[in-house]
Amino acid sequence: MSRLKQFNWSGWLFFGLLLLAWEFGARGAPKLQLYFPPLTRVLAALLASAQSGPLIGQLMITVGRFLEGYLLSVAIGVMLGVVLGYFRLAHELLETLIEFLRPMPSVAIIPVAILMLGISDSMIVAVTVYATVWPILINTIDGVRHIEQVLVQTGRSFGLSKARILWQVILPAASPYIVTGLRIGLSIALILVTTAEMVAGSKGLGFFILDEERSMNSGNMYAGIIVVAALGYGLNRLFLTVEARVLKWHHGMLARQAA
Amino acid sequence: MASRHAGAAGGIKMRWTKLRGIVFFIGLIAIWEIASRSELLNPLVMPAPVRIFDVFSDLVASGQIPWQILVSMRRAAAGYLLAAAVFIPLGIVMGLSQRIYCLFEVAVEMLRPVPPPVVIPVAMLFFGLEEEMKIFVIFFSCAWPILLNTLDGVRSVDWVLRNTARTFGLSRLKTIRQVILPAASPQIMTGLRVSLPITLILVVISEMVGSTDGIGYFILDSQRRFRVVQMYAGMLSLAILGYTLNQLFNLLHRVLMSWHWGMMRRME
Repeated sequence: MSRLKQFNWSGWLFFGLLLLAWEFGARGAPKLQLYFPPLTRVLAALLASAQSGPLIGQLMITVGRFLEGYLLSVAIGVMLGVVLGYFRLAHELLETLIEFLRPMPSVAIIPVAILMLGISDSMIVAVTVYATVWPILINTIDGVRHIEQVLVQTGRSFGLSKARILWQVILPAASPYIVTGLRIGLSIALILVTTAEMVAGSKGLGFFILDEERSMNSGNMYAGIIVVAALGYGLNRLFLTVEARVLKWHHGMLARQAA
Repeated sequence: MASRHAGAAGGIKMRWTKLRGIVFFIGLIAIWEIASRSELLNPLVMPAPVRIFDVFSDLVASGQIPWQILVSMRRAAAGYLLAAAVFIPLGIVMGLSQRIYCLFEVAVEMLRPVPPPVVIPVAMLFFGLEEEMKIFVIFFSCAWPILLNTLDGVRSVDWVLRNTARTFGLSRLKTIRQVILPAASPQIMTGLRVSLPITLILVVISEMVGSTDGIGYFILDSQRRFRVVQMYAGMLSLAILGYTLNQLFNLLHRVLMSWHWGMMRRME
């Protein structure tokens, strides 16, 4: 559908002008170049470090940690969310704990994780999981709660087993909510991986960017940022594509209801 | 026990379920306390909650935690308010004019996927470890939720409202102030609310990466000096702070938006 949309000439023109202003502004002010190298130099740095390897290596490390943390969060968040959404008692018991922990900025957990796990891969993954589970958990609970009871009861009167009700009724009916949680979790996971790498990493894109800043290699620093942004953009695009596939039935249903 | 309350009014039942959660929570803390004291949990990593609370109240009484929080809050408020002051007007303008929207769209889409913490090194390059560094980082990270929600809010303003304003010959500025802004305000508020926890997170991160004071620095520094109890006390204060800020915002929201809920009720 988006392909039918007209090409945004003015937007790209404006963006191009901004980039040109960057290029020539930096060239015109040599004193500033330490902070603000011309765009072409940043792109050259990007190419050079992509060819000689370090940037690709760091990217792979960050992607690995991200995937590990995100997938774990999805598994934990959805499972726990279904349990807490379905069994009222479980939710009542844990409610106060959740209310206490949730307003605390998740990054505050980093020092604790360092204490328990040292400066390691598992520390970064643990921190990512802690932060990413929240939106997935809360949205899954909401989703399961908002299911029409008629659906579950119909399933029951057809004699479906509990497991089948879970797989064939509850999860599909709650999936639009769950997907919202998964999408929010996606950007949070990337934020947490890069943050943890900055605060206590010796590898990964977050570390690379901060390290290049400290050694005043601003060209490499900007190159790293472009790579992180591209990663974030790519992940989001991938997610939307998968979502459109998986939730096709749901959008179709909504369209039918609207018609 | 529960059956005795089953027939009671809904309010009492609500309170009872709430109480169960609180009892469970206290039970967990008691288990932690016992496990830590009997060294089932390593007390160097997970010190007993009573000790944490002791140190916490000492640090509050000595003014150290309130001071660090004050320092952090000043930065947070500056960045947050600055973002609101810039991006609400920008959102309104972009929402009203398709041409201006197209102009900025690509630039916004290019900058948006940058994870906010990654901006910290750039800010450090320009501002060093000064206040401006943290303020800029918060400003940047609140930009998108505020901008995009304002934009959506303005776009979804009823066309009849806008046309009515035009029919009555309201000037552009007056239309914005008296028609668009009130009609879009629920969504603007959503943007401001979403930005609140983001602000708090980014203050803590930027203080961990590049600062010599503030609550984020305090927590990380305590860990590096192995003052573990103090570290947990700092986290406790952050949890309280996050909770309080949220409640304050809710209160403000209710006061500011009471007309909106009243209108919704009347429409029903």
